[in-house]
Amino acid sequence: MMPDMMKELCALCGTSGDEREVCDYIITKLPKNCEYKVDPLGNLIVNKKGARTPVNKVMLAAHQDEVGFIVTYITDDGFLKFAPVGGINPETIIGRQLRFKNGTIGVIGTKAIHQQSESERGKAPKPESLYIDIGAVSKKEAEQKVRLGDCAYFVSEYFEFGNGMIKGKALDDRAGCAIMLDMLQKDLPYDITCVFTVQEEIGTRGARTAAYTVSPDYAIVLETTTACDFSGNEGEKRVCELSKGCVVSYMDKGTIYSRELYNLAFDTAKEQNIPCQTKTVVAGGNDSGAIHTAVGGIQTIALSVPCRYLHSPACVIKKDDLIATQRLAYEMYVKLCEKE
Amino acid sequence: MDIKKALVDLCSADGVSGDEIAASQVALSMLKEYTDDCEIDRFYNVTGHFGQRDDSRPTLLLDAHIDRIGFIVTYIDDDGFVKVAQCGGVDRRITAAQTVTIHGKEKIKGVVSVLPPHVKSDKESVAKIDELVIDTGFSKEELSEKIALGDRITIDCEPCELLNGRVCASAADDRSGVVSILYALELLKDKKLRYNIDVSFTVQEETGERGAKMIGYRAAPDMVLEMDVSFAATPDSEKHKCGVLSKGVMIGIAPSLSRRMSDELISLAEENKIPYQIEVMADETGTNADAIGVSKGGAQACTLSIPLRYMHTPVEVVDIEDIKSTAALIAAFAEEKGGEQDA
Repeated sequence: MMPDMMKELCALCGTSGDEREVCDYIITKLPKNCEYKVDPLGNLIVNKKGARTPVNKVMLAAHQDEVGFIVTYITDDGFLKFAPVGGINPETIIGRQLRFKNGTIGVIGTKAIHQQSESERGKAPKPESLYIDIGAVSKKEAEQKVRLGDCAYFVSEYFEFGNGMIKGKALDDRAGCAIMLDMLQKDLPYDITCVFTVQEEIGTRGARTAAYTVSPDYAIVLETTTACDFSGNEGEKRVCELSKGCVVSYMDKGTIYSRELYNLAFDTAKEQNIPCQTKTVVAGGNDSGAIHTAVGGIQTIALSVPCRYLHSPACVIKKDDLIATQRLAYEMYVKLCEKE
Repeated sequence: MDIKKALVDLCSADGVSGDEIAASQVALSMLKEYTDDCEIDRFYNVTGHFGQRDDSRPTLLLDAHIDRIGFIVTYIDDDGFVKVAQCGGVDRRITAAQTVTIHGKEKIKGVVSVLPPHVKSDKESVAKIDELVIDTGFSKEELSEKIALGDRITIDCEPCELLNGRVCASAADDRSGVVSILYALELLKDKKLRYNIDVSFTVQEETGERGAKMIGYRAAPDMVLEMDVSFAATPDSEKHKCGVLSKGVMIGIAPSLSRRMSDELISLAEENKIPYQIEVMADETGTNADAIGVSKGGAQACTLSIPLRYMHTPVEVVDIEDIKSTAALIAAFAEEKGGEQDA
């Protein structure tokens, strides 16, 4: 089932440019009747035959990579300097445990609150002023555990809580990966291409090459998107809301979405009784930005699961929204395959 | 005694100030290994007597605090989000997107809400404690069945081991101090004692040394050794305001402490080759020693601090060797040298 797969997917470590573990896992979960290849950047391109040949070639895309940290320097006394990979919320870096792929654990902290000035107490420190502490006492000792360029990941337990909520790291965008992986398990009416892209978090780089290689007529991007439906945010500041279904936006920082597909998504949702909403802020971006301008232009729609606390160790989504997004993705794929 | 296991067990218990019972019970069960004469009082302070009592000799109190910092539920809003106040000085810069447990009728998981950078206008400032909201995924009606105003909240963080026997554990402040006392008792088993030994693991230190005021009065010791944690240097801290992790117990010297005790502890550390460092404080110490030192007619006091990095965050780091050297120095201080076994 999809939620079980979600748990395993979120546990995987794959910052941008270091997605191999995620890719390998997805390959093991592909049914036998899929063909796949991994392109030079690491995009996993999966083709599956359906019952019929579609009128239009439709590509689904979700990104494998997650935000994380990359080690850039080791100090003489064994502390690791790092840079964030992707737009990690700087407020959510200190006071956490991190894990490297080899099992080494580190923490990020600063001097104690008692020793901070009043102005220091109210500000998130800049990432470049921070370091990871793995307990090493010297550079030499640290180097035995960690190499420059190694990536570190938030230690963040995946769990379900409240009324059907899911909390985990990397829900952005393992949620999209889970939806595609689940679709690929099923018998499908039309041929489909699913792309698990790389390097989305550092500038939608994988999507650019994948779109070129696949050259579809239409693309559906499966994503998570910012929901701010918690206390203190009113009106348009809530952006979109959990429990209100799949999010379809008309515009974000990377894409002005095809009005035709936007309307088709809402019409389809209405017709199939799938909860669906739009966003009340133009913000963020996703692989659509790279795809819709590729190979001469590809009509693209993004279908997103509303997600609280994006780019933090504790992303929160609701299972109902995940299912709504999956349903709408399926209906849209069928419609676009058949579209005259 | 497995020091690391004791620390992890203690740090795995909740016990935010004013609601220490779970931690006190763990500590009491550990103390029972060394004395039957121990109990938890109405305020959840753990107290006990160790070894033989002899009215002709002075009483030494070994104290550490059992409470940990955290939050208290102050309000559940119409959408089911939880507002909080702090118990102790939480570093508010670390709160965003932390996973928490609310210790209500049921243990409820939640996440501290935070605006993502994509939509936040003032990217630098962090929320004040009274602006925090906790997301439990329940409606107000559902949540009100499970938790109540006044319940305590802890930030989730599993204890883990770093290199060199260093341990990351939230509540190492001051469960490390508790462990140092327990390990000192282990070292003092079957030894002749210079003093009547009282032990206390006190409550509500983080909210103003309140348990210490009660115990100081009741125990009325002649001397107190206070085992708390203190600042271990980090790359961003001022070195002259910190001790150093792994360099041994920090012996306090301060106008509010007994110079005689400080001097004796330094001599004992030298004699017994116990690694130590000096911690100078310019007035009071900010520990329970301040309150206990002035209880009733007064007690001579000294602090033995365990160096700790990242104080008041979920990733506090201590070195087991520093807990050992603290325990060794307590034992050296409490043992009657050259005497017969205290049968």
